[in-house]
Amino acid sequence: MNFSFSEDQVLLRNSVRSFLDEHCRPAHPRAMMDDARGYDPALWNEMAKLGWLGLPVPEQHGGAGLGLVELCIAIEELGRAAYPGPYLATVVLGGLGLLLGGSAAQKDRWLPAIASGEKRASAALMEDALDWDPASTAATAVTAGDGWTISGVKRFVPWAHVADIVLVPARSPEGLSLFLVDPKQAGVALRRMVGIDLCSRWSEMRIESVRVGADAVVGQPGTAGPVLESLLRRAAVCASAEMLGAARRCLDMSVEYAKVREQFGQPIGSFQAIRHRCAEMLLEVENSHSAVYYAAWALEAGAEDAAVAASICKSYVSESARRVCGDSIQVHGGIGFTWEYDLHLYMKRAKALEPLFGDAEFHRELITRHVVGAR
Amino acid sequence: MDLNYTPEDVAFRKSVRAWLEQNLPRNPIRTLEERRVWHRRLYEGGYLGMGWPKAYGGGDARPMEQAIVADELARASAPAPTNGLGLGIVGPTIVVHGTDAQKTRYLRKILAAEELWCQLYSEPNAGSDLAALRTRAEDKGDHFIVNGQKTWTSAGSIADWGLLLARTDPAVAKHKGITCFLINMRQPGIEVRPLKQITGSSEFSEVFMTSARVEKTDQIGRLGEGWAIAQTTLGYERGGRALARITSYASQYGRLVEVARRLKRHGRPLIDDPVIRQKLGRIWAELEVERYGALRTLTLLERGEHPGAGGSLTKLSYSEFEKRFMEMAMEILGPYGQLTEGAPEELRLEIDTAVGEQGTWAYAFLWSRAGTIYAGSSEIQKNVIGERILGLPKETRADRVGGAR
Repeated sequence: MNFSFSEDQVLLRNSVRSFLDEHCRPAHPRAMMDDARGYDPALWNEMAKLGWLGLPVPEQHGGAGLGLVELCIAIEELGRAAYPGPYLATVVLGGLGLLLGGSAAQKDRWLPAIASGEKRASAALMEDALDWDPASTAATAVTAGDGWTISGVKRFVPWAHVADIVLVPARSPEGLSLFLVDPKQAGVALRRMVGIDLCSRWSEMRIESVRVGADAVVGQPGTAGPVLESLLRRAAVCASAEMLGAARRCLDMSVEYAKVREQFGQPIGSFQAIRHRCAEMLLEVENSHSAVYYAAWALEAGAEDAAVAASICKSYVSESARRVCGDSIQVHGGIGFTWEYDLHLYMKRAKALEPLFGDAEFHRELITRHVVGAR
Repeated sequence: MDLNYTPEDVAFRKSVRAWLEQNLPRNPIRTLEERRVWHRRLYEGGYLGMGWPKAYGGGDARPMEQAIVADELARASAPAPTNGLGLGIVGPTIVVHGTDAQKTRYLRKILAAEELWCQLYSEPNAGSDLAALRTRAEDKGDHFIVNGQKTWTSAGSIADWGLLLARTDPAVAKHKGITCFLINMRQPGIEVRPLKQITGSSEFSEVFMTSARVEKTDQIGRLGEGWAIAQTTLGYERGGRALARITSYASQYGRLVEVARRLKRHGRPLIDDPVIRQKLGRIWAELEVERYGALRTLTLLERGEHPGAGGSLTKLSYSEFEKRFMEMAMEILGPYGQLTEGAPEELRLEIDTAVGEQGTWAYAFLWSRAGTIYAGSSEIQKNVIGERILGLPKETRADRVGGAR
């Protein structure tokens, strides 16, 4: 039993943190808000060189072959820096999606390109039913020649506008299937969906009778359900890691501010009203840390309770991060409500991730299903 | 990071489980004498005082072994031993701060439940502000004479001995004039009155000391060191009970789910109601997060590190959780949750309390209000977290200058 990071894991965290402290200061996400792509390709290539884009990619495909714990360590730091870019979309949704379900040929083709920074990816897991259960998929894939014709409307597809490939669930005659779709190909229309976090990019993805070949299906047709459920769990935990990073940054900023901001002739941190709030924030952050890294370990180790741990993680951290980030604005007072002050960068990142891959309510029902059975 | 138990830990857990199957009392414990018998059986099994030195009757066991034993006891809904404060607070205090003579004199008798202990800390005007305590211990040459009143004394009515904090120097700043003693409760100068709680029961007492006598040999640590010693004793129990606490909650949760299957509203079982399912999912998530936290604490203890102020985070977390858990259980059970008797038998509403006794949801609900008050209220824990972990400035306080009186 050892619930603490190894030396290597601490080293990874420190190196990601110090790199981002230098190359992703708050001015960087601010600069990307108005950028058409929304991310900086030069920084992306630097991250590739450091091996971060291939963290979970096996060594044979040009990656570092590390596990979900290491991936979450890196992503927590990205959240702490409000990094703007398609990291979670590419490495988790694309990379892990292909690792979980892809054929040898698909992995050969895409994983090295992801690890090297050459290609970006995403997955289109949400339709207008706003249900993260893969079984709710309504998009269709009709057999056409030796391939398929896909139609459907996907919503909130992260970073589709810069992706080279998107994993798209659709119903084929065999059942729920997963396809690789090039978002730039004819018949795919992307429309930007602008949320409050201008550093998180989403698109609506309209797919109208798009032809894909036989090699576009991920795994066997009709067998995508378990792959999508596994991917959803991993994405939920990774998103939680990013929310945790954002929350920890908000806590750190609040504590620093409470030490120096004076009212009534003394630092506001000396008032119990502020100090107790900060203590509660720390409690939620530490509990979120437990939830994220327990779930990451459990998924990686294939532990018996891995699925329920993922849902516990996402339901707990979604609400905790919201509370901590919100409370940080309250601790700051007026300055925390200004555009100029950086707090909102992190608060909005946590908010953007809160509903993705299942909100607290969605996952609480899954927890109950795991623990007491289905309705 | 590896959250698997080692093969040794798994084997140890098995051996504990097997022992419990053989030795668990078949009938509910009703008297103190029956509890003493169970206590001694546990001790003979090697399951009490596990972390204490072998030389004084302990087991020199690792924190993980202690946690596993406590966890298995909780899993089996085993009755608690007697002498909880002797085992949890007094013994460890003597182990760390006592003289060899004190260790030899007291430790084995605690383990064998030959002498039962209580803790004499809180006073009517010294609760959260414990250092404001006024009980006086006056030096009379070869002994001290103690005068004052204590309250919230657990097990006060059955205790043979007490661990006492008393003021020995009223002239110095209040934290510096307190000394720690062992006091014989079986003497004429001590009167114990039970304190009836909101539960209707009396687990606590008030203790009045009128010219009570404490031997010089029963002073723990140096004069004026009592406050520092008290700071360390409050944290002793938390690691060992870390897993067991969660396992008790999990067993209560299991009972709650069973009742939610049996109770019907609008013609369908509560368990099928989406609102109820949300509540059950929320409790389980929070309960598991507490368990993950316990594993982090155990990781520290196994490495020989002390959680320090981190213990305040743990205590704040589980005590506040327990309140939310019981409030939600009450919401789910409706008015049935408040029944102390007269519940329809077929609902089987009885539960095991934290110490393995049969109890009611009503009692567990009321008792959940205690956890955020005893051993440092949530507000005190937040002060500790704010000052010692986050490094926030101390507030201006009127009592940090001058003497205690």
